[in-house]
Amino acid sequence: MNAPLTMLWLTPLAGAAVCAFLARYGALFFSMLFAGLVAGVACGQSSGGVLSVVNELGPVWAYGISYRLSADSLSIGLIALTAFLNLICVAASWELEVPAGYWACFMALASALTGVFLARDLFFFYVFWEATLIPMFFIIGLWGSSNRLHAAVKFFLFTFAGSVFMLLALLALVSAHHRITGVWTWDLAALDATTLGPVAPLVFWGLIAGFAVKIPMFPLHTWLPDAHTEAPAAGSVMLAGVMLKMGVYGLLRVALPLFPTLSFEALPILGGLAAFSTIYGALCAMAQTDLKRMIAYSSIAHLGFCLLGVLSRTSQGLTGGTLQLINHGLTTGALFLMVGFLYERAHKRGLSDFGDLATRAPYLAFFFGFSTLASIGLPGLNGFVGEFMALSGALSVLPILAFAGVLGVTLAAAYALPAFQAVFWAPAGPGSVSAKVTDLNRRERAVLWTLSLLMLWIGLAPRPWLAYFEPALRGLVR
Amino acid sequence: MTSIPMGPQAALAAGVLGALSLGLMRKPPALALRALAVASVAGAMLLAVCSASDGYSSAIVLTDSKSIGWQYLIYLGALPLALWLDGEDDVLVALFLGATLGMSLLASASNLPMLFVALEFMSLPAYLLVARSRPGTRGLEAAIKYFFAGGVAGALFMLGLSLYYADTRSLAGSTDLTPLGQAGAGLMAAAALFKLGAFPLNWWLPDAYEAAAPEVSGFLSTAMKSAAVLFLMRLCELAPQAGFIAFLPAVGAVTALAGAVMALRQERLQRLFAFSSVSNAGLLILGVGAWAASGRSSEGVSALLFFLGAYAFMSNGTFAFIRYSGLETRAQLKGRGAAMPAAAAAFTILLFSLGGIPPTGGFMAKLLLLWRAVDADLYWPAAAGAVSALISLAYYLGMTRELWLEAPHGPEPKTGPGAPLVIACAVGVVLLGAAPWLMSSLSGALTR
Repeated sequence: MNAPLTMLWLTPLAGAAVCAFLARYGALFFSMLFAGLVAGVACGQSSGGVLSVVNELGPVWAYGISYRLSADSLSIGLIALTAFLNLICVAASWELEVPAGYWACFMALASALTGVFLARDLFFFYVFWEATLIPMFFIIGLWGSSNRLHAAVKFFLFTFAGSVFMLLALLALVSAHHRITGVWTWDLAALDATTLGPVAPLVFWGLIAGFAVKIPMFPLHTWLPDAHTEAPAAGSVMLAGVMLKMGVYGLLRVALPLFPTLSFEALPILGGLAAFSTIYGALCAMAQTDLKRMIAYSSIAHLGFCLLGVLSRTSQGLTGGTLQLINHGLTTGALFLMVGFLYERAHKRGLSDFGDLATRAPYLAFFFGFSTLASIGLPGLNGFVGEFMALSGALSVLPILAFAGVLGVTLAAAYALPAFQAVFWAPAGPGSVSAKVTDLNRRERAVLWTLSLLMLWIGLAPRPWLAYFEPALRGLVR
Repeated sequence: MTSIPMGPQAALAAGVLGALSLGLMRKPPALALRALAVASVAGAMLLAVCSASDGYSSAIVLTDSKSIGWQYLIYLGALPLALWLDGEDDVLVALFLGATLGMSLLASASNLPMLFVALEFMSLPAYLLVARSRPGTRGLEAAIKYFFAGGVAGALFMLGLSLYYADTRSLAGSTDLTPLGQAGAGLMAAAALFKLGAFPLNWWLPDAYEAAAPEVSGFLSTAMKSAAVLFLMRLCELAPQAGFIAFLPAVGAVTALAGAVMALRQERLQRLFAFSSVSNAGLLILGVGAWAASGRSSEGVSALLFFLGAYAFMSNGTFAFIRYSGLETRAQLKGRGAAMPAAAAAFTILLFSLGGIPPTGGFMAKLLLLWRAVDADLYWPAAAGAVSALISLAYYLGMTRELWLEAPHGPEPKTGPGAPLVIACAVGVVLLGAAPWLMSSLSGALTR
């Protein structure tokens, strides 16, 4: 099983090169190929008991840097999300008149994201982590809406600032490991086995800085609303759907395993910030007049739930928080796509620019309503399962956090439902552009059906999904 | 391979004499002059490879692995200028080769007076190079400023050397220093920091880099900087107990931050890259400090070597782009990416590399250097260095944004020669990033 893992990140990268000539057809072909490969690896591994595939090459050069990939169910789950949303994005942008670079950037982004989820050598982890910024910078900057230049640079600088501290932390970690054991290594497993001395808090908080910006956790979230609002629809899908997950993944993969004690001691601070993020994100979302910006703020709240679950380090919390990563990718992805469809038609996305859309575009109203309900955690749909488990995990560790989280859930209904009502049911106002909105075409409906059915599936039968993630997270339970 | 002692220097000296002799002709053949420049530098490089196997040393010069490694860096930094020099001007060719010879001597000097001679040998032609490379009075003004700064540096070194000698009675280094010797070593280090443009001794540098022709600025910021770094390292070796060594990380961190901050508001590209070069010099001083603090480890040397090697590509490439594109200000960059896609894409890669974004050589360079600092427990200077990289990203990204994401206005600039060099430098940077062991195994094989 040596080649497939490397193939996983090389396939979309090759796709990026091919897109330069074949544009959308290249993107479609390679994203399907990529999704197929991921499915193949996932099926291949699920038969075994411990879900892990390791892929190694010897040290590539000095200082213990080596190319080492591995995939457990956590990695494969997130890579599958990447591949799936990438395919969705290609399908959703099919009729856009964009140059070949657009498709190439999306494929390159998928490649770098896959690398992040596969790498078990922290050097390569960091390289892939940073490499995701370059395609996203161009996606926002070239194909975003009016304020895109500002948003692109802000996005890059903010997230890079976080990763710089992460890099310093990694350097300190590797050096400290060398001082104790006499061995240079960036291998996550080897580093995990060593107890660090006094530099441990420094390393831990450096890592947290890098991950918290990405998640984003209040107060390091300010880049998100701009980036998500200005990015093109598919760009927002990848940003919210996958890139935010990198932060939580970093916690699960690096920070929590390396620093079990420290991360537990930091729970009141980190958990408090996460709980506050859920309320703060919801309150900000409530104040928005721009539909897309509202969804962007709601992401801050949703990622807060994921964090609460993960930080609780209980079995329900961890699996629920992880499942919520997937859920958020599906629901928020669908919502961003629909705002994009609206924007393509009417070139507006303010809450007051529409009205009475339910009669003009019933399909759009149906899917939007469905995704909104999933997003606010209606039982029977996917959001409920994740939020419930994450909160019950938090409840058993630090009940006050769970109460704050429940307040966040309530607030979610308070911003999402009025927004839905204003756009779809309220009578169209004088400045309304609803007349320009035609209903979804067949391609758009197919995309949204796929997403909606998945939401329903996870909501009705969450057990196989939870069971899939559970083995990878077992070691983290305190 | 048989080695010739001082072979590289001899090749360069022959080049100087050859250029001056060709200049005696009524109309010196441009092609021959340019070929002479390239042949001298390439020949010096080849002879350096040959002399790598033996550790030649005499009272004033030596050939150790650092001397060989740094000679490669110097010739690598000089080669682009040899290729694009104005071949009409025999004096310019002679000055260029003379400056390179001075740097090469500096890389081989084994005692303090020889360091001084080499320093002056390198600097005097460089002043004239700045003045002569571009017609007009601004170059002259900058050269005079540069000359004045260089004179101060030389005087500081001389004074420091006399104090040091009065204390130790030695010209080749000593371990025990009284306060008199400490002061002497400190003054000598100040001269090196002057040459590197450490804050606040950097006031001459932006003017010189801006007034010179872009390819000359590239030469100064790569070959000259490499030589100056080695100069500082030799001082650390010759006076290992000197007090100034403890201050190097802090000086480097402050310089890195100051250079990055000052570059933020620059409008003219050459001036911006001059400040960026100050910022990079700060990282290098930090690297030298970390190397000295960790008992002068070989990892520290290879980190500096890698940084300077990657920087030779990045800086020469960016200045070559300025020369090729004919663009002088950031406002003129706007929307020009589409008009010159290949060179502009290469320039963008160089910008990302300068900003330290993986997978480029610039990222590896910064990583290795900051790692040395972290490994020597210099956490604060390392963090400052990282923050300087972050600040610098604001203008590197800003230029990327102007080049590709904004709409062009005004007349299209006239492009000049040099596009292949920009692209070659970008390829070099990507190779160093994707396969960083190339450099270490190459330099390992060549220096043995």
